[in-house]
Amino acid sequence: MLHWIQYLRGYVAIKVWGYSVERLLNLCGNHDVLVWNIEDHGDYHTMHISIPGFFALKPLLKKTGTRAAVLGKYGLPFFVAKMWKRKIFVAGLLCCILFWSLASCFIWDIRIEGNFALTEDVLLDYLETQGVHTAMKKSELDIEKLEHALREDYDLITWTSVQMQGTALLVRIKENDMPAYDNGGETKTKGMDLVAEKAGVVTYIITRSGVPFVSCGDSVEKGDVLVSGAVPVYNEDTTVRRYQYVEADADIILRYARNLSLEESVSYDEKRYTGRIIEIPVLGAGEKEISFRLFDIPYAFYDTSEEKKQVQLLDHLYLPVYYGKKTVQEYEITQKKHTDEEMEELLQERFRKIISTLEEKGVQIAKKDVTIKKNDEKWVMHAHMQLEESALKTVPTDVEPVGEAKEETENTGTEE
Amino acid sequence: MLGAAIVTITGNREAFIENYKGILEYTTESIVLQGKNAKICFEGSSLSIDYYTNEDMKISGKIDSLRYI
Repeated sequence: MLHWIQYLRGYVAIKVWGYSVERLLNLCGNHDVLVWNIEDHGDYHTMHISIPGFFALKPLLKKTGTRAAVLGKYGLPFFVAKMWKRKIFVAGLLCCILFWSLASCFIWDIRIEGNFALTEDVLLDYLETQGVHTAMKKSELDIEKLEHALREDYDLITWTSVQMQGTALLVRIKENDMPAYDNGGETKTKGMDLVAEKAGVVTYIITRSGVPFVSCGDSVEKGDVLVSGAVPVYNEDTTVRRYQYVEADADIILRYARNLSLEESVSYDEKRYTGRIIEIPVLGAGEKEISFRLFDIPYAFYDTSEEKKQVQLLDHLYLPVYYGKKTVQEYEITQKKHTDEEMEELLQERFRKIISTLEEKGVQIAKKDVTIKKNDEKWVMHAHMQLEESALKTVPTDVEPVGEAKEETENTGTEE
Repeated sequence: MLGAAIVTITGNREAFIENYKGILEYTTESIVLQGKNAKICFEGSSLSIDYYTNEDMKISGKIDSLRYI
């Protein structure tokens, strides 16, 4: 503590020699001149003295016949004076501090964690519409409001946490991974029909609720109602009294034909990297980018890949400045021809992929006929397939008129 | 006793003197101070005055003896 006070007030290290240093010390004591760290070096004494004390020393030196010389000046007043001579340096230092203070008032990076179904691009676009973007002021950001808006606007998001980490905005979300339930309340009053999404033949039908309009072997067109959500309630004289609306539920499989043709050229371009590479340093700020290369790229065909890093200070201080390198790889194109085995394998592979995509969607292949037509230039694979799929969708039931006056129009809803 | 010097010695490394009247001699081997009735003489090696005011003083170094002359 004492050292700090001495530093703030400033002090001088002096060397004293002459007839009677002891008398000088006594006089200093009597005149309230603050002196400390007095050391005897034989011919002379060294000591530290306060700045006002140093100015009061002159008459005392004269009186005691001693002399003094300054060995060093320490403390804040001397530091300030020294810095005053280096104005540019001090100005630079202050500008630097000012720059950091100003730069740390802005958001330079937005990171999103915990998203699976919602992509980062979607969320970043959404944040942009909410006025949250990089290079915005931290003070303009209302974290509570943003958290609330995220939960409100995306039903999928069940939990949000937005926090600042230095100059980076960290948005953490949790998505709802539970299956969504249909809002049953509405369907009960209205009813839901099952309609065909594709034209085909019904090969299998089991109805759990609703009135089936079709049976096995029936042909249906796209949009035909297969199971109605309006269940008729009959009077004693078999006329319809009213309709009870339910959500139609059934397992129905439709069979339909699909033709597919795949083409594959016999000749192809082969890309071969020559191994010649040019690396160009890149510096970017915001949207702008500078490549440090004077000449054009001397290759006819080349691929370009870029690697960029954002300048980051401390742990979370991101700046809108990027650096990295662009790699240009030369390649040559040579014309080649597939062999018969390769051609067959290529077509089969494409066909297998299509089938596995269909199977992933729940489509089953009941029958398939595959023929391959070959000529010198290309091979064409024709496939005729019989597919089976539960191609259904639910639509709201057309509300039938209810009441005794409309009875004659309602005899369509007969059971089975 | 009114005006008498008070000498506090910690081990043989530090001495704290109050109510002294003045410094009579100061070398690394001995420091002689004027008290009210007697001179106080510290002898030792590497003696130095850490600070002093009109009232008190702190001496540090290796103190071998303290004598009243």
